[in-house]
Amino acid sequence: MANKQQNSIAIVAEKLVKKYGEGVLAVDGIDLSIRANTIYALLGPNGAGKTTTVNMLTTLFEPTGGSASVLGFDVVRQANDVRRNIGVTFQEMVLDEELTGRQVLDYHGRLYKLETAERKKKTEELLAIIELQEAADRMVKTYSGGMKRRLELVRGLMTEPKVLFLDEPTSGLDPQNRASIWQYIRSLREKGDLTLLLTTHYMEEAEELADIVGIIDHGRLVVEGTPRELIDKMGADTIRLAGTGDSDRYLKELQALPFVQSSVDTGGLIQIGVDSGNHRLPEVVTLATKNNFKIEDISVAKPSLGDVFLKYTGRQLRDK
Amino acid sequence: MSAALTLWNKHLTKLIARKEEAFGTLFQPILWIVLFGTGMAAVIGAESPDAKNAYITFMVPGIIALTAMTGAIEGGLTLLFERLQGIIKEYLVSPIPRPSILFGNALSTVSKSLAQASIILGVGLLMGAQFIGLDPLGWLGGLVLIIALGLGFAGIGLAVASKASSPGGYHMLIFMLTLPLLFLSNALYPIVSLPTWMQIGARVNPVSYGVDGLRQTLFDSGSSLAGGEFLPLWLCFVVVSVFAALGMILAYSSFKKSVK
Repeated sequence: MANKQQNSIAIVAEKLVKKYGEGVLAVDGIDLSIRANTIYALLGPNGAGKTTTVNMLTTLFEPTGGSASVLGFDVVRQANDVRRNIGVTFQEMVLDEELTGRQVLDYHGRLYKLETAERKKKTEELLAIIELQEAADRMVKTYSGGMKRRLELVRGLMTEPKVLFLDEPTSGLDPQNRASIWQYIRSLREKGDLTLLLTTHYMEEAEELADIVGIIDHGRLVVEGTPRELIDKMGADTIRLAGTGDSDRYLKELQALPFVQSSVDTGGLIQIGVDSGNHRLPEVVTLATKNNFKIEDISVAKPSLGDVFLKYTGRQLRDK
Repeated sequence: MSAALTLWNKHLTKLIARKEEAFGTLFQPILWIVLFGTGMAAVIGAESPDAKNAYITFMVPGIIALTAMTGAIEGGLTLLFERLQGIIKEYLVSPIPRPSILFGNALSTVSKSLAQASIILGVGLLMGAQFIGLDPLGWLGGLVLIIALGLGFAGIGLAVASKASSPGGYHMLIFMLTLPLLFLSNALYPIVSLPTWMQIGARVNPVSYGVDGLRQTLFDSGSSLAGGEFLPLWLCFVVVSVFAALGMILAYSSFKKSVK
């Protein structure tokens, strides 16, 4: 059974399109096929169509074109079956601030017709996970941003969904809260039998959490793969160095080396692409000494998901 | 139904937690009946105790309609805030029937109206309103009318709340719709004392039928100030039921468009 689960596909989208009003194409034909029990990250800048895609998959909006299904249930025709089996955390805060944390979880459970005993048990369990027991009987409006977000995240789990959607789970949170939420998301994966689709515009978040990353831009999926695959496709390492001396001559000599694939000198900072950074570093340094170029700083960097993004979309992610 | 009850429960829990609002909900009708009732009685020159009692008796059902209306406006506001704050999304991705979102809200609105109506009746009694006494059928009829009136008003509030894009816009529109319903009726003054055009308006207004129905079910009809005949009681029930049904249908069709 478990094996069968692992190989099955939890979320499918085929040529999914969402058009708003006259001609605003928020989602422009997205195909997705997300394996069960994996964490999939849709990575893209604000306005790329991530949230709209999630809204269609979670039955909030009907697609303008194409189709999608979650656990085999069509998001339009079998919307209620989809709803019964998913948990959703929205991008913006969707919490009743005039309820206590405990009430928020309890009412959520009631909407899904959980029995009283089960709701109580689940509520305590989840409050413990997010360390919110002490604040559980305080109004949500007294909570900090991080506490609210944690509460929202576990609310989605009250009903033990098979598929969890997290739209920008750490947007606007400080690094400490972000780290704790990452840890929590990772712990979910270990429980098994949960497929997680998250959207993010943070590179590190996708890199840290996702089994598979899909880069989305202008409503289209531009590339997809494991973070490792995507980065390895970039090929070469980058050596960056700064120093004093005749940089022009040094750069010319560097370019003559067979393993240097690209080079650029941006006002004192030289950047070269090489086949293997660690192996080529000594030669690069020796050559500098020969040319009386005094290296003050040198580093070898692996290309990041940010570079992958740059390559496929032709731009930086807009936020820092 | 269970989802509607859950939302009803949630709205009332929140109301009770907001102490000022809970207090205001119960106290506001007292202010209306004491201040407005006494004032109006003086204006129409009901100086003798009998005349004053007759006016209070006349006015109590009107105040019930008025509080049902203000309650519905607040009920609509609850939906509007849930929409604007996105809380409604929690409902929309859950496996509950869409209409229960509205129905839960209407239930809490009507519950409040019933609580307010009991207070109004109590205070009215103290101020000299003359009730029918212990006629169960009369009280049951009155209950049905108050609920139906409440549902009709709630429907209007929910319909506007499904469309409005801000609380300001909501208030503007809701008052334009509900004020004529209240003041172009026999709720607060007898129909016969109105100019002809207003009399016509009052006769096509469902609120007139709700209020006149209450006067006949809950009160000594002998103390009518309505001038001339009451609107026929059976017609009152029909019109108010249609008002309730239309209100809810209007609310649902408006709501359905807003969540597409």
